[in-house]
Amino acid sequence: MLKTNDLGYWYDRQENSLFEHVDLEFKSGTSYAIVGQSGSGKTTFLSLLAGLDKPRAGQIELNGQPINKIGLTNYRKSHVAIVFQSYNLFNYMSPLNNLLTAMAVTESSHKGDKAFAADMLRKLGLTDEQMKKNVQKLSGGQQQRVAIARTMCCDAKLVVADEPTGNLDEENTKFMIDQFQKIAHEQNKCVIIVTHESDVAKACDHSYRLAKHEFALES
Amino acid sequence: MNFFKRAWLNLTAKKGRSILLILVTSAIMLFVLAGLLIRNAADTATSNAKKSVGATVTLSANREAAFKKMRSSTSTKKSSKPKLTTSPVKLSDAKKIAKLSNVSSYSATVSTSANAKGFDAISTSSSSSTGGGMGMKGGMSSSSSSGDIAISGVTSTASTSAFEEKSSKITKGRGITTSDEGTNNVVIESELAKEDSLSVGDTIKLKATTGSKKTYTMKIVGIYKASSSTSTQQGPGATDPSNSVYTSYTFANTVKGSKYKNTADSVTSNVSDPAKVSSVKTAGKKLINTSKYSLSTNDSSYQTVKASMDNVKSFADKIVWLVAIAGTIILALIVILMIRERRYEIGVLLSLGEARWKIVAQFFVEMVMVLIVSIVIAGAGGKFVGNKLGQQLVSQQTTTATTSSTSTQTQGGQPGGSGGAPSGNSKPSGNMGGGGAPDDSSSSSTSSTKQAELDVSVTVLDLVELGGFGLAIMFLSIMLASGGILRLQPKKVLID
Ligand SMILES: Nc1ncnc2c1ncn2[C@@H]1O[C@H](COP(=O)(O)OP(=O)(O)OP(=O)(O)O)[C@@H](O)[C@H]1O
Ligand SMILES: [Mg+2]
Repeated sequence: MLKTNDLGYWYDRQENSLFEHVDLEFKSGTSYAIVGQSGSGKTTFLSLLAGLDKPRAGQIELNGQPINKIGLTNYRKSHVAIVFQSYNLFNYMSPLNNLLTAMAVTESSHKGDKAFAADMLRKLGLTDEQMKKNVQKLSGGQQQRVAIARTMCCDAKLVVADEPTGNLDEENTKFMIDQFQKIAHEQNKCVIIVTHESDVAKACDHSYRLAKHEFALES
Repeated sequence: MNFFKRAWLNLTAKKGRSILLILVTSAIMLFVLAGLLIRNAADTATSNAKKSVGATVTLSANREAAFKKMRSSTSTKKSSKPKLTTSPVKLSDAKKIAKLSNVSSYSATVSTSANAKGFDAISTSSSSSTGGGMGMKGGMSSSSSSGDIAISGVTSTASTSAFEEKSSKITKGRGITTSDEGTNNVVIESELAKEDSLSVGDTIKLKATTGSKKTYTMKIVGIYKASSSTSTQQGPGATDPSNSVYTSYTFANTVKGSKYKNTADSVTSNVSDPAKVSSVKTAGKKLINTSKYSLSTNDSSYQTVKASMDNVKSFADKIVWLVAIAGTIILALIVILMIRERRYEIGVLLSLGEARWKIVAQFFVEMVMVLIVSIVIAGAGGKFVGNKLGQQLVSQQTTTATTSSTSTQTQGGQPGGSGGAPSGNSKPSGNMGGGGAPDDSSSSSTSSTKQAELDVSVTVLDLVELGGFGLAIMFLSIMLASGGILRLQPKKVLID
């Protein structure tokens, strides 16, 4: 569903490009891990896939349509859900309102469905009490569960995550991997996770390593 | 619209910040409201003053031209004594002026004098004895000798300045009205009535000092009381003010002689809208022979009130604009700081694909919610502040107006006392700071009391106007601050 065509990116000068001539394809119903050394450009690559930045060279196609044609704002709104290491929740809202807000903004098919959102949070292990208090009063693991619930509530077929387990303990990490796999396999979405944890990478269906400005399939 | 809900959630979740915002906004709104209140009050006071003080256009003999003529004639024929000849105003001319637009009514004034017959005029030490009082009374009949009773022939007493300004009051019976035309009805002063034990219904006799020197029997229809301030209207050489009587102008003309029929010393037309005085004057001048007659205006009371109110108004205007500009800057800075503090939240919204204008709209809605609460608070406090400020301003204005007007008056009398309208085109110099040159000495006190009525109260309209200002301030400050939102790159915020 998502293809990169001759994708290239550099910050200041082309000689210092992070990667160039990248041709990758990501399919729905599949999970992908992207690994590589710190500073190799994984986050940068992901931000291009998420429509947060424009590539310097080449383009990204969603189901054959260049995403700059869709419009990056529109693309983020309707086609991508993003999970970050630092959760990125609305810190002035409860988990429930975080989901409802995201559903409203992305115009999800479940928009306004409070029961649906509560159900999703419950499935991810939040109590009814927890989902009504301010997200800042939750633990890191709980906040990341809210973040993943948010991607599940939205219709976006593409889920990108940058170090989603970076701040979590082993148990929570395992739980998150399970959730991402469920999203890929049960919701038939395309999941792309940037990680430096080999456990996470191994759990994904495919794994790419970014090294020497190139992506190489590991498994 | 999800941004409404987000705005609400944000304000209620961050109570401390919301309260601070409300306090700052309330303070700004309070200042704007105070300015608006004073400005509106000054507006109302000015338009009230327009209605109450009115202005007049007076048609009288052109003394300036007459003097010129006199001088030129003396230079050619050096033998004869200089003689000032002025023509009395023809009532037909006056009626033409009265038909002009904005002229509501007119009143004629004829001044003359006669000697008391069968009763005693009041004599004061300064005034000369019966039949005296020569000279000084530059009037229509400059060659005539004056009697001890000053006759003011009027259309109606109510339309004379002394009665309009309430320095003279009818205490018994009634005043002269238009129905007294052609009669010998008279209204006398209470001191004279007391002195001679006269009351309403009695008759007195007056002997003309000029013309036929006939004796007329007058019927007293009313008694008026002149307050002491009116007495200053009397020029030097006139008899005691209590010897002033009012009759219909037709009687005064009869006393003066047959050639004065259907004339008047001066005819004062009331201009309903004081602001139109000069246009009435211009239009009126086209209707008369300006070499013989002159049109003078008197809107000094109006000018006095208007000038002091204009001062208050322009001050209030400045307050409103200064506070509005300062408020916009302050709020813009606060919003800029707020946006910096909330970059992260904005980044999350952008990553969800929210349109930037909706994020700006969320901030605007938050500020409008703050504004609504602030307007309620400012409305409650505004009455207090506005009242205090209004009182302060008015008391200052009134003091300046009164002091300046008392120093520049007594320019000769209008009807009522000694004859003779103010010369030529003496325009009242109603200038800023109040205090023009009122033709009658009593006007200064009247106009200054009128100024004091600055009604400062908060109406729904004031709050609506305040809301408009507040919205504009909020809109501008959000616009100034929204550059931060419009330029924000979600990647920079979210990926650190
Ligand atoms: N805004 C920027 N301007 C200039 N250079 C940048 C900017 N952001 C990142 N870089 C550089 O680009 C390179 C890639 O950064 P990126 O964050 O993509 O790496 P990463 O693979 O995600 O690393 P990590 O595993 O530590 O998260 C780094 O060398 C970084 O210093
Ligand atoms: Mg990274």
